Amino acid sequence: MGKSSKDKRDLYYRRAKEEGWRARSAFKLLQLNQEFNLFDGITRVVDLCAAPGSWSQVLSRELQGKNAKIVAVDLQPMTPIDGVTTIQADITHPNTLQTILDIFAGEQADFVCSDGAPDVTGLHDLDEYIQAQLILSALQLTTCLLKPGGTFVAKIFRGRDIDLLYSQLSYLFERVICAKPRASRGTSLEAFIVCLGYKPRPGWNPKLDLQTSTEEFFEGADIGKAGNLEHFELPDDEERKIAKFVACGDINDVDSDATYTLELNRLALEPVQMPTAPPYKKALEMKRRGDLIRR
Amino acid sequence: MSGFNQISSLNEVEFAPLHHYGPVTALKIYKNYVLAGYGPILKIYQMTQGDLLDVAEVFCKQVFSRNKIHHIEITSQGRLCLSGARSFMVLDLEEVLQGKGNFKERAINEWIVTCAFYENWLLILNSHNVVYKVDLASFEFDKVHCQEKSILYSGSIQVLDNGTVYVAAGTVMSGVIIWDLHSRKIVHNLTDHEGSIFGVKVDKTGKYIVSCSDDRSIKLYDFASGTVLATGWGHGSRIWTLEFFKGDNVKIMSTGEDCSLRLWQYQEGNSQLVQLEMVENCHSGKHIWSGDVDDLEYQVCVTGGADGRIKLHDLNKVNRTEYSLQEISSQTGLVFGKKDFIRDYFELKDRLIVLISNGDLVEYSDNSFKTIAFNDQHKLKDFAIVKGFSDINIVIIAARNGDLLIADFTSDLPQLSWIQDEYLGSNKLTNLLVYSTDNKYYVLVDVPNPNIPFILREFDSSFNLVNVTQLSQPNQTSFTTTDMVVDSVNNWLVIASRYVTIAAYDLSTTSMALFKKLSPGDTITSVQIITSKTNELALLILVKDGSYLYTTLTLSTTFHLDVTHANKLTKGFIEGGYIKSNKLVLYGFKSSYFYIWNETCQFEIMNELCGGSHRQWKLAPSKFIYVKDKTTLVIRNIAHRFVNDGLIHLGTHGREIRDVAVSPDGKLLVSASEDATIAVSQLEDGVKGIWSMNNHISGLQRVKFLNSEYMASSAANEEFIIWKVTQSNIPLVKEFVRLKPSAVENPDLRIMNFASIELESNVFILVTVYSNSNIKIWRIDLNKEHYGDMVKLLVNDFYTTCCILNVELLQKDDKTWLMIGATDGYVTIWDVTSKLDPEEHKLGASIIHQQLHQNGVKAMEVFTHQDGYRLITGGDDNALVVCDLQVPDLKLDIVGYEESAASATITSISVVGEHKFVTTSVDQIVRIWEYNEGLTCLSARYTTIADTGCSASMGSTIYIGGAGLSSWKVNNL
Repeated sequence: MGKSSKDKRDLYYRRAKEEGWRARSAFKLLQLNQEFNLFDGITRVVDLCAAPGSWSQVLSRELQGKNAKIVAVDLQPMTPIDGVTTIQADITHPNTLQTILDIFAGEQADFVCSDGAPDVTGLHDLDEYIQAQLILSALQLTTCLLKPGGTFVAKIFRGRDIDLLYSQLSYLFERVICAKPRASRGTSLEAFIVCLGYKPRPGWNPKLDLQTSTEEFFEGADIGKAGNLEHFELPDDEERKIAKFVACGDINDVDSDATYTLELNRLALEPVQMPTAPPYKKALEMKRRGDLIRR
Repeated sequence: MSGFNQISSLNEVEFAPLHHYGPVTALKIYKNYVLAGYGPILKIYQMTQGDLLDVAEVFCKQVFSRNKIHHIEITSQGRLCLSGARSFMVLDLEEVLQGKGNFKERAINEWIVTCAFYENWLLILNSHNVVYKVDLASFEFDKVHCQEKSILYSGSIQVLDNGTVYVAAGTVMSGVIIWDLHSRKIVHNLTDHEGSIFGVKVDKTGKYIVSCSDDRSIKLYDFASGTVLATGWGHGSRIWTLEFFKGDNVKIMSTGEDCSLRLWQYQEGNSQLVQLEMVENCHSGKHIWSGDVDDLEYQVCVTGGADGRIKLHDLNKVNRTEYSLQEISSQTGLVFGKKDFIRDYFELKDRLIVLISNGDLVEYSDNSFKTIAFNDQHKLKDFAIVKGFSDINIVIIAARNGDLLIADFTSDLPQLSWIQDEYLGSNKLTNLLVYSTDNKYYVLVDVPNPNIPFILREFDSSFNLVNVTQLSQPNQTSFTTTDMVVDSVNNWLVIASRYVTIAAYDLSTTSMALFKKLSPGDTITSVQIITSKTNELALLILVKDGSYLYTTLTLSTTFHLDVTHANKLTKGFIEGGYIKSNKLVLYGFKSSYFYIWNETCQFEIMNELCGGSHRQWKLAPSKFIYVKDKTTLVIRNIAHRFVNDGLIHLGTHGREIRDVAVSPDGKLLVSASEDATIAVSQLEDGVKGIWSMNNHISGLQRVKFLNSEYMASSAANEEFIIWKVTQSNIPLVKEFVRLKPSAVENPDLRIMNFASIELESNVFILVTVYSNSNIKIWRIDLNKEHYGDMVKLLVNDFYTTCCILNVELLQKDDKTWLMIGATDGYVTIWDVTSKLDPEEHKLGASIIHQQLHQNGVKAMEVFTHQDGYRLITGGDDNALVVCDLQVPDLKLDIVGYEESAASATITSISVVGEHKFVTTSVDQIVRIWEYNEGLTCLSARYTTIADTGCSASMGSTIYIGGAGLSSWKVNNL
């Protein structure tokens, strides 16, 4: 979250800085909680794809004094947060699972969430596929450590085939809801799946293995995912379901699509945390120095 | 959770797809064919070498039901594999071209990265770095992997002549893995990049590897050692395609998000890849997704973009010859002084005539220079202008005193003679204009003294002087002439000048009219006749600042000039242009570059880094000639190698389309895109782009027709433009008026939507709704001339603080209602009957305020029904609501409700017949609904237009916009 002209228009962005959140997405989790009371009685919590850490901040503040153990996992390094154990690790790695279970003293988790999203390319089908892979990777780990009846919350992009995911999740949870917090822009495809009441598939023993793809991982779970057919025949369309939609947050809350006029001369606030360097940092520096070849 | 989603596919035959424009996701050159993955459609083009290389479509068919073709693989025998997402298909090109192809779509349960043929197997690399080795006879398979199942963004398979098969895998986490298919061993794990790997290839000899990543660099590695040999920096954003040249494995082509095509070469010992060529401005918007290169047979590159365009590029080296003054001196024996320079020149059919500043005249032909001798050379010493008529081999050189040297090159021996001036007295000539039409050749002489008339000389085709006309200069201090045309139908002369001013003369009576300040720019650089008929002349006027105008000059008792079309290039100056088979071509300078630009099709034809416009330059049909450092003549050939300058397929916007509208007569489609342009297209045999209007600078929201003559568009930064549309053989469009924004500037303040009703001819009640909850009602009288009379604000009020998404105006029995739908899910109606007189009102209390959706009312359509209205709304909450509104109190009854009408946001509703309407939603399913007692989905069909965001209907045809544009016919209405 940089220090930019966004300050002027996005009230959530500004409020995040004022209230010390590392990203405006903190409000999304707060609004999801408002609707679903997600934090009631949870003590073992996992935040996946956690960097820069705004959801962990929310969890830490909301669960303060409740003797909760919060683990935040990301491939990127994260600035520490009070009351949160941050680990820099791959969520598909069996060691990561073991580390989390060790922190929980062998107990299962009550709540797993993921606000992760890949960089989009602009090829919608590829982007949706990669996002689905990210959710499935989070779900893999979740099925290995979530207690029956537990909750899973993850960011989704509502596009083609989102109804396949809804259908697959409905095999694993009592209730699957597509929730849209008011802090999430209406113009964005972003929403959150709130999966309540984990019900492990009978007879299925999920096991993380680096040699197993997400498709192979869920093969035995029988959740309506199409496998390979003989001679690669085009499968009949897979099971699709439409999850119930719930808008979250107070209707009188700040509207993330609206334009607000702020009083002039308000100080621009320093960001709570500087953004991490992008992979193309060197290219930008070269461009600035005029070292990029144009012709 | 509601039941199974049965409305993702239902009675698909009710929809018949007509035309589709969208991302070109794969391209392959094979022999004399170009194969294109146009989303799910396979297009095949045939190249035919005549005088020009022609490329014509020979095959087009949607081969995948849902998935896009991301990769095309073909063997030297024409065995073809298409793949993309989870789908693949094996074909024989010969059979396909003969219409006998067996288009059997197959699928695996994973994303396919690439595929390749190896002996009798098809190798399919999936996104988990696993290769399916598929027996092509039985379609039985083995899975082969290298123990490293990282998620891949990219990958390729190279089968070497010796049978070795290398899999090159580009992972999401900065690594390139090269592994051997047979041994299943990892050969290299290359970690030199940062960020996701978007492309990796091994050359066909197995000597090099090339890769690109999110770090925006291209790296070439030595295969044997896995060390980086050279890195190529230059792309301004991500790189999507990499191809080795077929005949030269140290040359590479790349394309990317920055819409550039770049050619690179590795030179041993140089740690930087050398950029040989860079082609920009060949696609619109963002992303060249696909490309291929043929450096063996046709010397071409082909690229395909997010704009749906397919474009050929010439690989041949640019032909450029340079001659310094010393060179000219040594060839001719002429002696030039230290301060001498190349004054001016003129290109004839077979030679170039060059005037040196000392008055020497030389002729350049067959790569050599020779002197042209003539009398009174001293007259051309300090000043001269060289013009001519190449069709009759005439060069005209004007001297300062107004004398004209005529050089006739018709016969082998040039004939040179002077025409002595009799008109200018002691005044000095400043400009010489020439024009020919109908075998008449006109030469006009201009002096700065406004009391001295222009001298117009008319010659015949043997260049005998036929007539001299003296024309009074316009009565203003400085009328600097820049260009002229003579209309032979009406015998009119039009002279262009600075300050975007033109003078029109009737040569029969020498009466004159002056038209000043036609647009805000400075100098008119060129004026041209588009069409001419009795008393009506269509003129193209080009302005240096990048503006171009289509105008109509008419004469009744006096001249009248009407601007019918006005647009401005976003960057670059215009020096000239022409219209060729209804395409507008413009040329000029953009910083240090000279460019030629096809404005109709939006691509650059050529460019030349010449240093800018302050030098001497001239454009001939196949040459651009300019002077470098005042003393070096540069002749840059323009090789017109391709039919249509290499445009194989014209697409649409290069960014997401936010709104579409069809003109009331059904002839035009206008679209508003995220790229801030409004495109105007003709609807005949598809959607044919004509104009790309650049007047908006902010993100567009909506575009609609107000009536058959006017349309309007709204955008961020409070931009609202009313356009006038003139239908002729091509539609003409100009900004007619724009609403003035609020006093406090706010770039984010978006005019989300608008609605209008026409009170009388071209008089409207208009309502605009804003992202800050503002609602404004205006009275717009387009018959008036001045803004103050034309635009009156009637209502200025706020709804709440939330963003308003939709608005409608309803009028019945002298009553007028305003209806809005907002992000809070409510539909609100006010009776505004008493608010329509011209003093600023507040809205007052609403008469209806009803929540219909959980959040955003994304789509809203209302139409008359029985005695009242029917309202249909679609929401971000996937729901569809049908309401009836009873007149006179507009009581709202919900009569139909479907909670899960789509699996994601409903983005638009288009009415297609009585009781029937079509919805689009971001789940990429288009549905026909019927409301007749109950709400029923009649049909549902997948569209390949992602980010499906808008639609418009005309009769039974619907147009669907998003990341591309499709038209469908609705059957059985």
